[in-house]
Amino acid sequence: MIALGGLTATPLLFLIVSSFARQWFFPAIAPREFSSRAWEYVASDSAGILSALWTSVVIALVVTSLAILIALPAARALALHEFKGKRVMTFLLLLPVIAPPLAATMGMHNLFLRYGLTDSLTGVVLVHLVPCVPYATLMLASSFANFDTDTEAQARTLGANFFNIWRYVTLPAIAPGLGVAASFAFLISWSQYLTTVFIGGGQVLTLPLILVGFQRSGDEAVTAALSLIFLLPTLIVFLFIARFIKHDYQIDL
Amino acid sequence: MTIKLTFNNPDAHFVRRHTHGAFIILCALCLLSACVPVPVTNERAKLTPDQFAATTWDDVLTRARGTTVNFAMYAGDEQRNRYFQERVAATLKEKYEITLRLTPLNDTVEVVNRLLNEKGAGKTSGGAVDMIWINGENFRTAKQADVLWGAFADSLPNIKYYDAEARQRDFGTAIDGYEAPWQQAQFVLAYDTARTPSPPRSVEVLREWIKSHPGRFTYVAPPDFTGSVFLRHILYHFGGDARRFANNFDEKLYREASAPTIEYLNDIKPYLWRQGATYPATTRELDRLFVNNEVDFVFAYGASFASEKIRRGEYPPTVRTFLFDKGTIGNYNFLAIPFNSANTAGALVVINHLMSPEHLLEQTRTLGGVFPLSLAALSDEERRRVESLPRDEAVLPFDVLAAHRLPEADAEYLERLEKDWEAKVLRR
Repeated sequence: MIALGGLTATPLLFLIVSSFARQWFFPAIAPREFSSRAWEYVASDSAGILSALWTSVVIALVVTSLAILIALPAARALALHEFKGKRVMTFLLLLPVIAPPLAATMGMHNLFLRYGLTDSLTGVVLVHLVPCVPYATLMLASSFANFDTDTEAQARTLGANFFNIWRYVTLPAIAPGLGVAASFAFLISWSQYLTTVFIGGGQVLTLPLILVGFQRSGDEAVTAALSLIFLLPTLIVFLFIARFIKHDYQIDL
Repeated sequence: MTIKLTFNNPDAHFVRRHTHGAFIILCALCLLSACVPVPVTNERAKLTPDQFAATTWDDVLTRARGTTVNFAMYAGDEQRNRYFQERVAATLKEKYEITLRLTPLNDTVEVVNRLLNEKGAGKTSGGAVDMIWINGENFRTAKQADVLWGAFADSLPNIKYYDAEARQRDFGTAIDGYEAPWQQAQFVLAYDTARTPSPPRSVEVLREWIKSHPGRFTYVAPPDFTGSVFLRHILYHFGGDARRFANNFDEKLYREASAPTIEYLNDIKPYLWRQGATYPATTRELDRLFVNNEVDFVFAYGASFASEKIRRGEYPPTVRTFLFDKGTIGNYNFLAIPFNSANTAGALVVINHLMSPEHLLEQTRTLGGVFPLSLAALSDEERRRVESLPRDEAVLPFDVLAAHRLPEADAEYLERLEKDWEAKVLRR
């Protein structure tokens, strides 16, 4: 456990030091000087980090909820029903994950242009759904695979209506899988770069867009500071998943 | 009965407590996403190139008033972002009532690809970008694919401040007014005075230096921009006069100059970092090697790149820059308007402002770099202000840079040399 903690904490520590570092030259273990330049810039209005953060959060939450809404019936059908063309459907569902991202994104940009969906938040949400839905579906399908539909029949016999069956029988049974699927969808949307660049047209500014710019230019301190901000929701989501896994498997985390 | 069932299930209890509130919030967020930013298009601000040619500059200024200009600009430089977002935006607002909106770019090729797609899909108006910062290969692609607005640069009032050279060719591609000159960049080499007291100032002295300091030199692998321009300096060295390469591609000249160039590169190869078995892939990697004291030189386009890195604490304060005695390659970078810009009048006004002596004096003072305007075109007062621009020791004086500036080669020389390097140097 300690080793595992160290493994995650070391890069984090490195980022924290880098974000304050000035004159950090090999083979010195610590920087020669420290400065808050990077954090001052990140906090300034002209950096636009707060609004990018907000845009990223809104997009990721909307994408997550839509992805789950789409994935739920699909996952149930894939896990619990046998039907003609199921293998083809599974393949089609996985296609966006398999296809080379650049080619797929260029193609989607063309399609989105035709329907006037580019340069807008709606377009970005839709394009993020493309990689998010397959992952969410696959994860939910594995939850549904262990689900015994007879418990639903039982509840129905006992007089529960559709809503009550969902709320008290189905949802509790798939809850851990649902939590993990939602977290994954959130993180996939959160880290989208290429799709946001193309469909958002530079009008929809998310955190990865700003981060990649500084990473490419080699401004290590600002990159480190932005990386830390970028990591924050990931850590929150990780704790969220840990909670679900704990409930599912009774592990102490 | 159903209630009893849930109490038996701890998961259900947990989920019920947590999911309902979350679900309501998510629904609200779905609605929120419908609030899409709608770009305000002002029909008056949308001029065609013909309309621009026929009208007066005052009319353009009137049409641009009250509009928003979306400027797609490389955004990896904190100081530059700040300067444009704060100072330049405020000046434009005050002088022309224009709102400047920066749409950050990590690579100009992104916006060019997007324009190509938009052209293919027939999106000929209401584009999200009104002006782009561009040069070289991206300009050639954009011009050939006809995704630029039109010939406008030669009709801008402030074009008179630039040398004729700045309006003719961009890496061998005829400009024809499709982009307006803006800034100037010149290749400089950097070294650390604490490690290297006297740097090699010519291609031949460099050869000797590399051989007597094995493993202490390398260059970025072409087709990276910086690696490619390093090779061109050697090509120029063996080709005689640099000006011969600036115009259309000449097969005979290329063969004459490239053979000794390839020979030179193979000659130094065993003495390079890691015996030339591998090369840094990006300028950033070369930068790291330099900073970590593995190699002794780093180079880039941009007379003040070392000074900026010293300021940010990325280079030691003892780093200085130098040029080859025969000169180094300099080029311009430009501003262009996409074919589907929704606010061409606004873009014209902003571009013209960015080309003005007042703006460029302030910009050079704030961000460093080379002052790009022709000194002869300036008033005495302006010239005095250029001469008194502050300069730290890691930047060479403007007159030294200007006296050592070589023209850029036609793009075909670049491509051929990059291919030959791969076949005859890298894979040998």
